[in-house]
Amino acid sequence: MWRPCGTFDETYQKDIAIVRTPLRWAVLVGSLTVTGLLPVLVPYYFVSFLNNLAITVILVMGLQIVSGYCGQISFGQAAFMAVGAYSAAIFTQKLGMSFWLALPLSGIFTGLFGLVGGAPSLRIKGFYLAVATIAVHFVTMWLILHLDVTGRSQGLTVEPPSLAGYIFDTDERMFYIIMPVMLLMTYGARNLVRTRVGRAFVAVRDNDLAAQVMGINLFYYKLLAFFISCFYAGVAGCLWAHLTLVAHFEQFTLLHALWYIGMLIVGGMGSIPGVFFGVILVRILDELVMVVSPVLAAWFPWLGSAPAAGLGVTAFGLVLAFFLIWEPRGLAHRWEILKASLRLYPFAH
Amino acid sequence: MEGFLQLLMLGLMEGGLYAIVAAAMVLVFKSTHVVSLAHGQIMGFGALAFWIGVVQLQLPLILALIGALGFSAAMGWLIERAAMRPLIGQPLFASFLNTFAVFLILDGIFQLILKGESYSFSAYLPKGNISWGSITFPITQLVSFLGSLLVFLGLALFYRWTKLGLGMRATAEDHQLAQSTGISVRAVFSAIWVLSSATATFAGLALANVTDIYYTLPYMGIKGLVVALVGGLESLPGALLAGLLLGVLENVSAGYLDPLVGGGVKEVAAYVLLLLVLLVKPYGLFGLVRIERI
Repeated sequence: MWRPCGTFDETYQKDIAIVRTPLRWAVLVGSLTVTGLLPVLVPYYFVSFLNNLAITVILVMGLQIVSGYCGQISFGQAAFMAVGAYSAAIFTQKLGMSFWLALPLSGIFTGLFGLVGGAPSLRIKGFYLAVATIAVHFVTMWLILHLDVTGRSQGLTVEPPSLAGYIFDTDERMFYIIMPVMLLMTYGARNLVRTRVGRAFVAVRDNDLAAQVMGINLFYYKLLAFFISCFYAGVAGCLWAHLTLVAHFEQFTLLHALWYIGMLIVGGMGSIPGVFFGVILVRILDELVMVVSPVLAAWFPWLGSAPAAGLGVTAFGLVLAFFLIWEPRGLAHRWEILKASLRLYPFAH
Repeated sequence: MEGFLQLLMLGLMEGGLYAIVAAAMVLVFKSTHVVSLAHGQIMGFGALAFWIGVVQLQLPLILALIGALGFSAAMGWLIERAAMRPLIGQPLFASFLNTFAVFLILDGIFQLILKGESYSFSAYLPKGNISWGSITFPITQLVSFLGSLLVFLGLALFYRWTKLGLGMRATAEDHQLAQSTGISVRAVFSAIWVLSSATATFAGLALANVTDIYYTLPYMGIKGLVVALVGGLESLPGALLAGLLLGVLENVSAGYLDPLVGGGVKEVAAYVLLLLVLLVKPYGLFGLVRIERI
């Protein structure tokens, strides 16, 4: 662990601290205060963008744990989010639970579902597992479309959450639920990956046979990775259902799952800050395409009247290919380099 | 019983199509050890090129076919050159993800070209129904099926008798050994992408003949991937058998189970089969079982 010049760790508590210097504490508290005030300060559009961003961060964080840390590439994350959204809708609307109970419960339910979805990882890996998770995606979405309890193709409508008579029915109000949950989940993930469990995940990713020889129980840790990842997906799904007030199968397509994997690659596999970089960059790119495409359509009429969908996908693919070829370790790697050079300034090494 | 025979025939016809999509992926995997998602898009673009040749330019069928094959072969060569070659020496998974990036790039372009319309060239090909005893099936399906069998035969002969095919088989065995016997592995990689793209174009034509060119056409590539995995990623005969098996299974299960569960069995049967097969045989039915060492 590198630290700024003149900073010495005298106790174990100080050695393992995530926030280690007074300056960092000041930055943390300051940025949290600004984040808390954001719904008052910035326009509605930006708040809803941030909500969307935070939910995606939770979801991709789960994917980071199973794919980035444990090495089990999963294309099933969109389907798992769907399970979370639908189970949350069923818990609050059909069983009459409160939102605050349904939030962890839908996470746990999705986690248990993920144990079934992740079960193939015990026998197969690599490409085979990746395609098997695509199969899991299609089977899950098919079940959602054909069961009565999920409302078939109609989907389920959801009431906004409330606390002591206060109803969280706008984006600004939901912001105060989504943002703390996101921060909590990030804190959890940040700590998880440096515990015994996190180290076991990394060992399984780097070489699962070697990990097994060292005494790591592959069966247990692979399923645990899927459970935790799906827990994140479930919580994200629950928040999503209560933000958009509907759980509908069209919100969770295979293309969404592909985007989440793409965000992971752009951000950097095996890095918690990388999740933020990836999600933010890809989402900004998406918004940029939304802004640019009408202009392009006006200049080049042969693009058609609504080129946003096609242009967005192409731009995303280009960014992805760029990162895979020229920056395979993602933005997180650049971030580490930047931090190192700032720490060493004015020296080069 | 007659209902069953009818479903069986339809299933075999469709299975032939799946098999040829899978064959394109197997070709790439055999030599380069990369699973390609991009071939779904090559199918779409090949079919589109054929449509332009036949419908827009009113070319004779054979010229349009050659044009479409040439176009998609060039596309395959370009993809290998621009996206695959820079990643040689990187983890194989990076290459896999890069084919997925290529899939997305081409998917956007495909959507921009189609603009949500569907294009059909089946009017220029033989049509009607053939009855054989009590079984009836459309002639388009038969043409597609026979065409894909021909392609399989061609591939088998190519691998067996030509020098390039032999080089490809050697490369599939071991890259370094092949290189040391004087085979240019790079040239083989280029050739394999050209060949598999042409194969994918046949698949795209056969599919578009039945379903028309629509923005969902490239996603049939995913089904081809499923077939390739069920058959085993290294095995061409496996792809053929798995394709036929899957086609029959889809149609028969849809025919018998749809009334029970209210429809849609056909969409999901392939994926259930894949999960079951992988749980029992993790490398597919005819795939090479790898013994892993640390």
